[in-house]
Amino acid sequence: MSQGTAPGTHSGRPPVDRAGRWVDRAFRTHAALVYLFLYVPIGLVVLFSFNAGDLTGELRGLSLRWYARALDDRFAMAALQNSLVVGAWTAILATSLGTIAALALLRAPRPVRAVFDAITYVAIIIPGIVIGIATLIFFVNMFGWVNPWLEYLWASAALGTPPTIRTGLHTIVAAHVVFTMAIVMILVRARLAGMDRSLTEASFDLFAPPLRTFVQVTLPQLWPAIITGALLAFTFSFDDFIIASFVAGPGQPTLPMYVFASIRRGITPEINAIASMVLGVTVTALVIVGLVYRRQARQDRTADDLERGDLAVAVPVTEEPR
Amino acid sequence: MATDGRADAAPGRWRSRVVTALLLGPTSAWYFLLLLAPLVILVAFSFGARAPEGGYAPAFQLDNYLELPTRVTAFTNTLWMAVGGTFLCLVVGYPLAYYLATRAGAKRTLLVVLVVVPFWTSFLIRTYAWLTILGNNGIPALLEGLGADDVVLLNTPPAVMLGIVYNYLPLMVFPLYVSLERLDKRLLEASKDLGAGRLATFRQVTLPLSAPGLLSGVLLVFIPIMGEYIIPAMLGGGKVFFIGNALVDLFLQSRDWPFGSAASIVLILVTLIAVSLYLWLGSRGQVRREVSIL
Amino acid sequence: MDRNEFVRHYEDWQRGRISRRQFMQVTGLGLASAVVAACAPSTGASPSASAKPSAAPSTAPSVAASVAPSASAATTDPMADWTPPKGVDLGKELVITTWPNYHDPKTIQQFTDLTGVKVELNPLGSNEEMLAKLLIGNTGWDVLVPTNYTFETYGSKKLVEELDLTKLPRLDVTRYDKNLLAPGYYPAASSSLFGFNKDWGTTGYTINTTHVTKPMATWKDFFDLAQTDYSGKVTIHDYQLTSIGNALVYHGYSFNSVAEAELAKAEELLIAVKKHLYAITSDYQPPMKDGSAWVAMTWTNDAVQLNRAFPEIQYVIASDGGEIWSDFFAVVTGTAHREAAYAFLDFMATPKVGAKDAEFHGAPLVDSLMIELLPASVTSNKITYPDQAALTKLEFGTAELLTSKARAEVWARFKSA
Repeated sequence: MSQGTAPGTHSGRPPVDRAGRWVDRAFRTHAALVYLFLYVPIGLVVLFSFNAGDLTGELRGLSLRWYARALDDRFAMAALQNSLVVGAWTAILATSLGTIAALALLRAPRPVRAVFDAITYVAIIIPGIVIGIATLIFFVNMFGWVNPWLEYLWASAALGTPPTIRTGLHTIVAAHVVFTMAIVMILVRARLAGMDRSLTEASFDLFAPPLRTFVQVTLPQLWPAIITGALLAFTFSFDDFIIASFVAGPGQPTLPMYVFASIRRGITPEINAIASMVLGVTVTALVIVGLVYRRQARQDRTADDLERGDLAVAVPVTEEPR
Repeated sequence: MATDGRADAAPGRWRSRVVTALLLGPTSAWYFLLLLAPLVILVAFSFGARAPEGGYAPAFQLDNYLELPTRVTAFTNTLWMAVGGTFLCLVVGYPLAYYLATRAGAKRTLLVVLVVVPFWTSFLIRTYAWLTILGNNGIPALLEGLGADDVVLLNTPPAVMLGIVYNYLPLMVFPLYVSLERLDKRLLEASKDLGAGRLATFRQVTLPLSAPGLLSGVLLVFIPIMGEYIIPAMLGGGKVFFIGNALVDLFLQSRDWPFGSAASIVLILVTLIAVSLYLWLGSRGQVRREVSIL
Repeated sequence: MDRNEFVRHYEDWQRGRISRRQFMQVTGLGLASAVVAACAPSTGASPSASAKPSAAPSTAPSVAASVAPSASAATTDPMADWTPPKGVDLGKELVITTWPNYHDPKTIQQFTDLTGVKVELNPLGSNEEMLAKLLIGNTGWDVLVPTNYTFETYGSKKLVEELDLTKLPRLDVTRYDKNLLAPGYYPAASSSLFGFNKDWGTTGYTINTTHVTKPMATWKDFFDLAQTDYSGKVTIHDYQLTSIGNALVYHGYSFNSVAEAELAKAEELLIAVKKHLYAITSDYQPPMKDGSAWVAMTWTNDAVQLNRAFPEIQYVIASDGGEIWSDFFAVVTGTAHREAAYAFLDFMATPKVGAKDAEFHGAPLVDSLMIELLPASVTSNKITYPDQAALTKLEFGTAELLTSKARAEVWARFKSA
């Protein structure tokens, strides 16, 4: 938002834009209020994790005992680990498959693209509860079909006890990937659409083989979309309760499932402690990433400016790789 | 290799097709097994009958679809709340996105990240925190100290609306921010040079150019709200009933799976139609056919 | 039986045309009183117990250190501590699907300490939900705690297995009141036992006497005052069985009715009350504890826990009717941890263990020896062991309520109104 610089002013200073300042202040206040709104509940969660008392509604002094309890609690830690594993796998699979598909769709004929468009939208539109139930019913039927067949195979080949397929972490990953892969595809395709073709063409003109072009020209430009997609995929998977509660395996709950069961069991500040720890770890990780990025950003400043200005100029490839 | 990647020779084209098919293979298989197959099951169920103890009994009847109007109240409730919630997110989110887009450098990145960080606490716990704030020992207690007695905030539609805005705000802010951030500042300067006031500049330059972000934001918020069920369950105390709650009830309580399936199919179709309509209207003024979602 | 018939029988009895015993038998009220007679700790052989249903007379009030007279299975001293079965690999884990606030964490810990089996408690919200998940299959559950009216469905669909009594040496069904144990047999009145009682209880309502000053004794009071004096402070269960059932009782109908006309009236009442409710929830302890709600439809065990925390919260068993229920232990068909499941059931059937557990959850027990072991503070608690008179009008839920489409529809319409 630029202060109006009236051309041809006589004095050496630009005129004071009072209205502009007021507008600025309004925006700033609004932003502050929104941040307050976003963080008050989080603040409460963290505050009550230090509650010396039992109820999460009343603060009765400060103590660290709930953190100790949380770290000791095998079920809670197992649930946390499950969530992390599921989230990581979902992010990896969704990102790789989604990116590959997005790239492939560039070269696919129109009808195929239309079909994938429709599927992507359906994947996002389906409510979690519906996909949860439908996927579970599908799984159960499939298991009832595959397992006897495996038994037969193993028996006829005399291989000992056959493996049985059941619900478990892998089924949660499978269900999560459906939604997150669609998100990644949308992000990457949008980025591809807005990407500057002349760079790729320049690369070809310079006799670079397709793979090299991809790695050195296309991929670097796609990174923001891919990273964003991976982050979103992980966040969605980590936070999801509805789908997980249906397709999870027995005895292997994810963190949201554990939290929900705790709410039914009688919630204690232990849950707050777990949430605060997750928050703490995330914030620390982000700070570290931020510091690293800041150092790199100082080196890449020219590249940054070009990027943000969105100038469609084919520049000889002398930029430092990100 | 002196040729460009797009070989026109027939064997080259065939190879290209194979490569494309291979690349699309895993994704297609995934969608086929885990999206289409369950959907087909749902459709099959929707024509069935409820077994006496609940669940699915094979049959072929349209009764389930014909009975759907009984759930219309839950559906319109959800629709109102979804529209209202999306609108509120827009009203609250747009100024914030604008503010963020006009900050500079590291501070901007920090502020953007701070918007997303709340997402890193568990969704259930965040919503549960609101139970404390809106419950008897929270804001109503404060208000009592100021003289306003007997204020009930929890288990009301406004409470659910609050929960919705709280949880979906980042999804609205993010696309808006990305879109506004790409805005070429020189256009704004040009507008000013041509004598347009602040409001006019906003209306005629900023707003249209941020349309893609607005489009995405609205979609990213509206669609999930239509399927939401936890927020009304936790903050509505059973008194606010979304179509999502109705589906949970149908599948898990009354165990009328055929009816639940029919309701789900219709919900998906209606949302699909609404979204397509919205996108079509939105892209009418744009040159590019392919709408950039982010 | 409808209201008129009941009144007719009552008048017959008053006029001496039929004996008290005949009256009790014909109206089924003998059921409830026989239950109390058998289970009440100090009354022993109560005069009102009709001879047929109860095993009350044989349950001596003195602490039975010796084995019960007709003991066939029990060869161990019932007062002995439980030990894991020898030579049996119990595995590493066990999943118990049950209700909230229903097990003492110490009891569970004790089991884990003795066997090394990790126990996961999986609390659900309603029997309907339990059935829905069992129907989908592949639940991975091992032990189930279903309510009495579900066994017909669970048995016929083979969702729970017939109990292998050889694996339950500490279980002695002769100590269990026959009426309360009866639903555990499938088919009814056969000798195939699918579950044995964990406890029983009633559905009434709790009131916070600091704020509730008007006398409340019936469901009529409950629903009327919810719409007037205590509007905004009342909760009902998120559970069709009890909420619809008690609305039916308000109108004088049976708790178990599925008659269309009667259901319509109950629905009308519920919808009229809905806007005055604080919440429709089966998790009513938090709002009662922090004062957001003053009156809540409640189950016995929750009432005990609330009263323990806040003595001003009292429990009312409505005098115009309501529900009496019993929860059972059962083993899920196809469980992957069968040995551990039976070990746990055997553990809970041990009198010392069951009694200690009851001190936590507060629901009244069924095993007469367990009751003997309870401290006086528990047995004198009128919430846990109410007077016989309070129970006469209560009804057990019937099997068809679990699958009734009519009631499910009423509930769905009510929730979306």
